[in-house]
Amino acid sequence: MVLLKSVPPPTEGVRHEQAETTAIMDGKGLGCGTLYVAETRLSWFDGSGMGFSLEYPSIGLHAISRDLSAYPQEHLYVMVNAKLSDENEAEMAENVHDDDEDASSGGEDDDDDEEGVITEIRFVPSDKAALESMFSAMCECQALHPDPEDDDSDNDFEGEEYDVEEAVPEHGQGDVPTFYTYEEGLSALTQEGQATLERLEGMLAQSVAQQYHMAGVRTDESNAEFEDGMEVDAGTTVAGQFEDADVDH
Amino acid sequence: MESAENQTPEPELVAGFSSIRERTIAENSLVILLQGLQGQVTTVDLRDESTARGHVVNVDAFMNIRLKKVLHRDRRGRLTQLEDLFVTGRNVRYVHIPDHMDIMETIQGQLAKSHRVRNFAGGRKEYAKKKS
Repeated sequence: MVLLKSVPPPTEGVRHEQAETTAIMDGKGLGCGTLYVAETRLSWFDGSGMGFSLEYPSIGLHAISRDLSAYPQEHLYVMVNAKLSDENEAEMAENVHDDDEDASSGGEDDDDDEEGVITEIRFVPSDKAALESMFSAMCECQALHPDPEDDDSDNDFEGEEYDVEEAVPEHGQGDVPTFYTYEEGLSALTQEGQATLERLEGMLAQSVAQQYHMAGVRTDESNAEFEDGMEVDAGTTVAGQFEDADVDH
Repeated sequence: MESAENQTPEPELVAGFSSIRERTIAENSLVILLQGLQGQVTTVDLRDESTARGHVVNVDAFMNIRLKKVLHRDRRGRLTQLEDLFVTGRNVRYVHIPDHMDIMETIQGQLAKSHRVRNFAGGRKEYAKKKS
């Protein structure tokens, strides 16, 4: 049989609620109830308060089906990468976890699929026009739960908004891009770090005058004088030169 | 917005990123190529060995793919039509790139769109001034 538990439906972050929705799990009808598309989980509960919840990471795909030759009613189809038995949700979570371990090396492991460890759920609302809202709400919530194990470490973005255009001071050290291959490489630098880097680059450039390509700035030989420690001056000089270059027409 | 040729929509919509984080992730991986498929019809092979062929509505940085007007073929070859389909990145095995698409151009075009968004507010005139 199918699991039914009395876990209360989510009350917060409910993106969409659809009453009079029948749930069919692996072909077995569970009756009529209410579907809650919440940010934390997808839940369905029948009139007596019994139902089930699905965690978004376990949901493989969802779709709107209007093909009546495939299924006699228009519905929201959800494929879950887990087997929902009449044990409890913990077991389902466990199955998902096991799947994760099996598939950890690049997702090529077909074992879980060949064993058929998926559950197909169809949510049939009485109001067919609601299908799009249900679908969209699920898309939004699904996007809130990116798969943590698939990302390689490069994707680990600190979240601090870094944009080299914004971080670079207004007085226009605009030749900076010539030294940066990828802007994202700078994402580890704070604004202060950025300024320091530019100052150091400037010093380095002035000690190797010919190799320094800078937009609109001529690197004079005389600047080599500063290489032994007039750091602040060098920075100011550089900035000054930039300012000139920056004044356009 | 869906056609790669149509450059008129607002830059933010064109770039289509919902966060700086997503943009960073996308620009550092080949997902940026998949995002260039927006509006195209293609086939996505899923992890469970089913396939879904339809119009690409959106691909996000996590490779979650949204398709519309989909023909879904399950493992056993049974066909189903689906209006809208959202498959999580984790469940994507392959995405077919249409033969007519130039991959390098698509990637470069996507990156250019993204950079236009960045420069939208103020620009780096120094780029234009760069001389040998």
